[in-house]
Order: sequence, then C-alpha cells, then structure tokens
Amino acid sequence: MTEKYDVLVVGSGPGGYVAAIRAAQHGLRTAVVERDRLGGICLNWGCIPTKALLHGADVAHTLANLRPLGFSASGVKFDMGRLVEFSRSVSGRLSDGIGYLMKKNGIDVVRGSARLLDKGVVAVTAADESVSEYRADHIILATGARPRSVPGVVPDGDRVWTYFDALVPSELPKSLLVIGSGAIGVEFASLYNDLGTDVTLVEVAPQIMPVEDAAVAGHVRRQFEKRGIRIHTGASVSELTVGTNAVTVAVRSADGTIDESTVDRVLVAAGIQGNVEDLGLEELGVEVDRGFVTTDQWCRTTAFGVYAIGDVAGAPCLAHKASHEAVLCVDRLAGADHVRPLDRDYVPGCTYARPQVASLGLTEERARATGRRLQIGQFDLQASGKALAIGEADGFVKTIFDADSGELLGAHMVGPDVTEQIQGFGIARSLEATADDLAEVVFAHPTLSEAMHESVLAALGRPINM
Amino acid sequence: MSEIKLIEVPKWGLSMEEGTVAEWLVEEGASFSKGDLICEIETSKIANQLEAPFDGVLRRVVAKAGETLPVGAVLAVSAEAAVSDAEIEEFLAGIGADQVPAPAESGRSPGGQPTVAQPDLESSPPAPAAHESVPATGAATGSRPRPGATIVPDALRGRTNGDVFATPHARRLADELSIDLARVTGTGREGRISVADLHDSIRAAGGTVAPPQSPTRSGVPGRSFEDDTAVPATPVARRLAASLGINLHDCRATGSRGRVCEADVREAERRFRLQPEVVAAPEPAAEAEFETIPFTAMRRAIGQRLQESKRSAPHFRLTADLQIDDLLALRTKINATVPAVKLSVNDFVVKACAAALRKVPDVNVQFDEATQSVLRYASADISVAVALPSGLITPIVRGADGKTLAEISGEVQSLVTKAKTGKLTADEFQGGTFTVSNLGMFDVREFDAIINPPQGAILAVGAGQERPVVVDGQVVARTMLTVTLSCDHRVIDGALGATFLRELRRFVESPALMLV
Repeated sequence: MTEKYDVLVVGSGPGGYVAAIRAAQHGLRTAVVERDRLGGICLNWGCIPTKALLHGADVAHTLANLRPLGFSASGVKFDMGRLVEFSRSVSGRLSDGIGYLMKKNGIDVVRGSARLLDKGVVAVTAADESVSEYRADHIILATGARPRSVPGVVPDGDRVWTYFDALVPSELPKSLLVIGSGAIGVEFASLYNDLGTDVTLVEVAPQIMPVEDAAVAGHVRRQFEKRGIRIHTGASVSELTVGTNAVTVAVRSADGTIDESTVDRVLVAAGIQGNVEDLGLEELGVEVDRGFVTTDQWCRTTAFGVYAIGDVAGAPCLAHKASHEAVLCVDRLAGADHVRPLDRDYVPGCTYARPQVASLGLTEERARATGRRLQIGQFDLQASGKALAIGEADGFVKTIFDADSGELLGAHMVGPDVTEQIQGFGIARSLEATADDLAEVVFAHPTLSEAMHESVLAALGRPINM
Repeated sequence: MSEIKLIEVPKWGLSMEEGTVAEWLVEEGASFSKGDLICEIETSKIANQLEAPFDGVLRRVVAKAGETLPVGAVLAVSAEAAVSDAEIEEFLAGIGADQVPAPAESGRSPGGQPTVAQPDLESSPPAPAAHESVPATGAATGSRPRPGATIVPDALRGRTNGDVFATPHARRLADELSIDLARVTGTGREGRISVADLHDSIRAAGGTVAPPQSPTRSGVPGRSFEDDTAVPATPVARRLAASLGINLHDCRATGSRGRVCEADVREAERRFRLQPEVVAAPEPAAEAEFETIPFTAMRRAIGQRLQESKRSAPHFRLTADLQIDDLLALRTKINATVPAVKLSVNDFVVKACAAALRKVPDVNVQFDEATQSVLRYASADISVAVALPSGLITPIVRGADGKTLAEISGEVQSLVTKAKTGKLTADEFQGGTFTVSNLGMFDVREFDAIINPPQGAILAVGAGQERPVVVDGQVVARTMLTVTLSCDHRVIDGALGATFLRELRRFVESPALMLV
C-alpha cells in the first residue's frame, strides 16, 4: 500500500522546507521530496554561499583601505581555494540543519525526483531508479528555478559559467564578463572586482539592476565604474567564442557598435527560469506560463490539490518570498485564521554588492505612473554622521509616500548595511504606518538608519540635517 | 471592582459542556493584558486558545494542564500584587474552593446555594449553635439566617473613622459590612488589617463569615453546602464523601437505583482536585501490562453522544447493493477532463444523498426530544464522518443539494484538512441533517452506523468491489457498493427509509441525474 500524506512538498528549499514545517506544526502528516541536497539553491548555491564569498570580498576591500585609519599591512596573501572552502562549509552546515529540522518536526524526507502521476498521486524516482508512489491530499510544488540560458551562450562549467561555477572557481579569474545585472550578476561583479578580477558587466536593459529605482541603479553604476568595472547597458552578447585559454566576446550596443574583447571567464546571470519540467504538470492540467506555474492568491494551481510556491510560481524569485508563500499556502489549506494574500510588490529586494541595495514597493517611475499625488524624500549619507565615521558615506535613502493617505508606496536604499535596515520600512508598511507615524519614531543616534528617518522628514518637507 | 478576579472555562459554542486544559501559556506570577492568550483549552471537538478577558497578574493556576472542567469552572485566579497569597487562599476557599460547579445535567440543582450577591446582615449574633443545627431533612431554614450568611456581631459595628492601616480590600469589605476597622486587630506587616483579619475578628466576636461570592463570577454556582443526608448514596460513597469533604449534591449518581457510588465521589474529587490524583504504584508481578489513556474531550463527546443515540433512538437498518460501474466511468471521465476537479466516490455518494433527501424530505429531519416533534429541514446539510487519530468528527457540507459535485468535493477536502488541524469552527461541524460514513478505503464490505443525534438517519458506505451478479439469468461481474441506512424509528418508518434508498439508487446508478 502506498504511503498517504496530508501534505507532500516537492523541493526542500526555503519554500519547501518551510511549508513542510508549517504543515507539521498544524498536525498534518507531511513529507518532503528532495532530489539533491536539503535546503535547495538558497542554502547550497545561492543566498548563503554568495554571502560567504562577499564577506571575503569585504575583507579585501578593508585591507585595500587601511591607510586612512593609520594601518598598513604587507605580505597579505589570498587563496581563493580557502575562501571557497569556507563558503562550502557554511552551506554544508546549514543543509545539515534542515535535516535536523525535518526530523524534529516529524517530517518524512523522501530522496528522489518527484512526478505527478495523477491527482493526489506522486511518483518518486530514487537514485537507484527505483520508483515509489505516494498519495497526498495536498501537493505543494516548491521546485525552484535555475539559470536562464542566453541564445548563443552555452555554459560549459569551465570558461562559460553559471552561478554554480562562479561559487566554486578553481582559481581567481583574471577577467570576467558578466551577462545580466540583476542581483546575481551585480553581486558576482562586485565580489570578483573586490578580489582583484577585471570585470565587465553587460545588461540588455537601459539601466543596470532593471527592477530597481533609476536613481539607485544610477548610483550603483557610478560606484562600480569608479572601481573600474566596465558597464554596457542596452547591450547584448552577439558572438561568443570559447578558446583554450580565453573567451572572445562581441558585445553589441543599442547603437549597433560592436565592442570585442577577450576575457578569462564569462558568467551567465541573465535571469532564471522555473523548474517545471518532468513533473507531469501538463498531463495533470497544471498551467505553466512563460516558464512559471500559474497560481492564484492562495498559491493554488489550476489542478485540484496542487499548489506552487516560491521561484517556480514566478517573480520575485527570492528566498523570503518563497518562505512567506509557504506559510501562507499551508495556513490557508489548514484553515488558519487571518491568512492574507501576498502583495508581491511589497516583498523586499536585497542586493549584497558593495554598495548594498535594498528596496520595497514601487519605484519612483511606477509610483508616478499610478497618477497618485506623491511625497518623495531623499537623504544622502554624506550628511550621516555614522556613515562618515565608518568611511562609507556613499549612498542614500529615498522614500515615496501617497500624499493624500500617507501610505508608504516605496522605499529605496543604497549604502552600507541597508539590507539590515529595509525591515524597518517593511514593518511600517505591514502596520500601515503613515509618513507622520514614521516621523514620530525616535531613531537612535548615531546610526545608519537615521537616514531612513531623515528621508521620511524630507518627504514631509521638514528635514533637519540637510 | 475587586482586585481578585477569576478566569473561568469559557463556553465556546452551544454544545460545549466542558473543556480540558491543554497547556498554560502564561506562567504563575506573570502579568498579562486583555486579549493575551492565557491557556489552550481542548473541547469535545476543537482546541482553542483562551484570551484574557481583562488585564491582570496570574496569581494562582487552579486547573493544571490535562484536567477537564465544566464550563464556568475556575481555571485561575488573577489579582494585583498588593493582594496577599493568604487572601487568595481564603477567596478560593470561600467560593467553594479550587473548584467547579456541579454539572448542570446532574438534575439536582443545589437549591440551598447562597445566591445573594450582598452578604446577609443580621444585627444581632444568633446563638453560635444556630448555624450548626441545620435541619436533617434539608428543608427550608425559614427565617433563620442561612448557614452561608455573614453575621457581624454588634461589638464590631460602626463606621471607620480616620487613619486605619488596612488593605483596600479590607477597607471596602468593612464599609460593606458596617464594621469599624478601629475595632479590628491587624496582623499584617506594621499592623496592617487584611480581609483575613476582618474575618478573624468577626469569628472571635461570635459572628459568622459567609463564603464570599465573587462579584466577577459570571453566575456560576460554587460547591454545594446544603445538607446532603437525603441524597441516595452507597455507604462507601457516603463515608468517602464525608472524609473528603465532598457534598453528595456535587456528585453524579451513576450507581444502582440512581445512587451516588464510590466512582462518582472519586470523579467529583478529581473535578474539585481536593487531592492530587493518586497514581497507583504498579503491581510488582504477574499483572497484565496495560497503559491507562485518559479520555480526551473528543473521546468523551463521542462516547456520550453515541451512547445516548444508541440508547434512546430505536435503530433499524436497511441495506442495499448499488451498482456503480456508470458512476466510476463518469468519475474517471470528469477527473481526466477537468484539472481543477478531483471527485471521489464518496463525493458522488454525498451528492446522491443530498439529491435523494430533496426527493424524500421526510428523511431530512432531526428529532426534537424536548418538544416531541420532528424538525424537517429544507436544505440537505450532509455531515461527513472524518476519522482522526484522536477520534471522529463530522464536518458538514451545507446545502449539498444545491451544490455541484466539484463544489462538494472541494469543500469536503478543505473540511477534512481543517478537521485534522483542529481548525473547524463550531458552525462547520455542529448541526447537519444527515450523515454519510464511509469505510470503503479500508476495504470494508458493509457495516452499519449509529445515528449522529439529533439526526434521523445515517448512511454507512462500504467499498466498491467487483462482485458476481445475475443479469438476465447470466452471472456477470459488476462493481457493487453496499450501503446501509440506519434510521431512528421514532421519526422514520421502514417504508420511508426504503423510499429514500430507492431514490439514492436511482441517482447512484444513473449518475447523470446528479449533473442536471
């Protein structure tokens, strides 16, 4: 007889494992299917290991800027292999942690690749090709996503990388051309530049970081260019030839000019696509639109008893969005009170480059397009005592409010540790705080987050420190 | 209001009679605000969290986790820090202790219970013997002060003037009783007068002290105090009750000839928690090993309701074999064609029952024992029995006769999951006009079910199986489903039940009828 579960989750990333734990907390009999390592991309090949490498890059940056503080260092050596080792050990530790959490919550972990056989029936093919069948009232797809391919650019794991390869280089490349300037592309461009690689960034859209506010993207671009990163926007790779020791790349700009260069490595970071293949979706009538599963506000797909959360359910493809949808989806099906649909516009986005970027809600352009009367404030970190004291006074905080309701429509931050500060605006938004409410908050001094306060005051037309 | 307040077992839903404390969420000594979650209470069918009805400090947990108490029983005491532990003790002892009212269904309402909100006042102290010589018959005590009344001796009477060091409680009580606090000796720190000192003085001067009635108690009776000598009880029960200080009025009477027996006193003892439960030491040898699993609230509800049904509703059963090959073919076709729908055989059965009930509304009934009448319902609200690890619950598909198969199927799945997570609301499982119980997934061929009171009938559904049947003189294989209808003969007669089954067969064997 096949095992019968209340909830079966396919994939154990930040969507899947959270969904499984939440289901178990509701007292539902739960299993999670994983074909690779527990924790998914986030833990093993995404958020976490890149942060470890970026931490190394920050150290490189600090070492390069000792002088103003009176230090000098000589004989500093760098071993890329050791940094990669550190990054992998962090991932390994967290992945083991997920195994522990599954056990603690009484969740069965099924190893293998899942496929929907019928409504409520999943077949799992294990590594040894053996197939087992499982039944479940609720099947949650949390299969994630993978790098999207670019025409004419075939990742080979050696000269042409995806983020998988960029996380475990055998040596530091002398030069690197990054295709795509979303969070992944920008983070790798920044960290490899800090470690000493000559970096070129190619973006097909008119601005880098296309989803971010134009002012933020412009600021990052200037900072990057100051550091020697070459940037081509409105440009694409028209030709790519992999040689034995180098890659020859032709970049075509919007005006038709072609810029040819030879680089050590190429990183393809032109977005991601959902893992929707070989799941039996089509046979079951699960609708897929442009590579992502179509879902409603409760994460239900078009097929009975099948749900999708996280990357596979579409943008924004972020770990915290996946985890949030996991809880939302499970709470809803479990009948919990006060479940609210997710407003995807207000999922915060963070890019851990130098400088960091964090944002929430509408860009100024999108806010203007709503036709609402706006109050916009911006505060520059050049006027922030704390930012000056730590020698990182490049950046700003921009806030956009609806002038009539006082509702926070957008917050855009660039500068040191802004990824830790954006939650403040998230809380404000979630509690429906108005600009006036935020103005009344006492912000501790001296902190970087005081800039958030000043930005709100600026939006209200009464900044103090500028 | 009084600084001593009680937190009591709430009443969630009409059928809730008692609740089991699952877990305390606030620790003794901790303060809480109105709306904070105080503890988790499991009722017969749901687990829910109790919100604090006011701000306070949890001074005393009366009901420990795992204990079952009737609605209105005291769970905990809240009081300000200024109130001493001794005052809380006294308060608890006064309201009839760490305990609970007699269950309402006991039928013996404690008539002698002091019901006055204000303490009875007598201007002169009666002879001390007066409140001891309660008539043995338990008859009314006439004009004499009730044993529960507070009697203030003249020696203490007066109005408190000027500076007297007393607790706010004591000061208020003294005002109420017209006592001059200057005549009372304080034993608190620096001679501060507490409520206990006040009571001691009253007693010392020859008066009596009533068991206080809490102004914050919501009309819940405390323990009985009146004479219980006339209550029929076994000798063992009577002696045990006396030694435990339990009034026989507070015991159920499940013994022979309606007498209170030993088990009833033990049960009352547990309810009042006069003693911690004594766990019998395991016998050293030769005893068969077993595990004692206390009834959960849900088990108890199942037991009570179904025992009541089986005992009072005269059941008769009608069994029919239904051919479901067409139904299965239709099901396969629908499931293969419509992604958003997954119909089970049971979904079809629920729909067919609803359709048949619409044709034979006299089966869509409840029996109202109180008025000796039949309640016939216009809408077929089908209860669907769901097995849980902890028991059984019957969430309801309301108005199933007006819903499509897809709607019924989606609703049933949602209700089943909510049943498992304990998130069903009272409205989702209380009521219903007819029940479907299906054990087909366990390959049970056929069974009969006990009627879900106060409904009039229940359909027990077995497994669809290929069986040899005779068609036109030939033995052929057909998929058959055996169903058994249990009816309450008080409201449904044999021919009526049979008519319902005939309609049910029509829908099940020609499933297209359910789609139009």
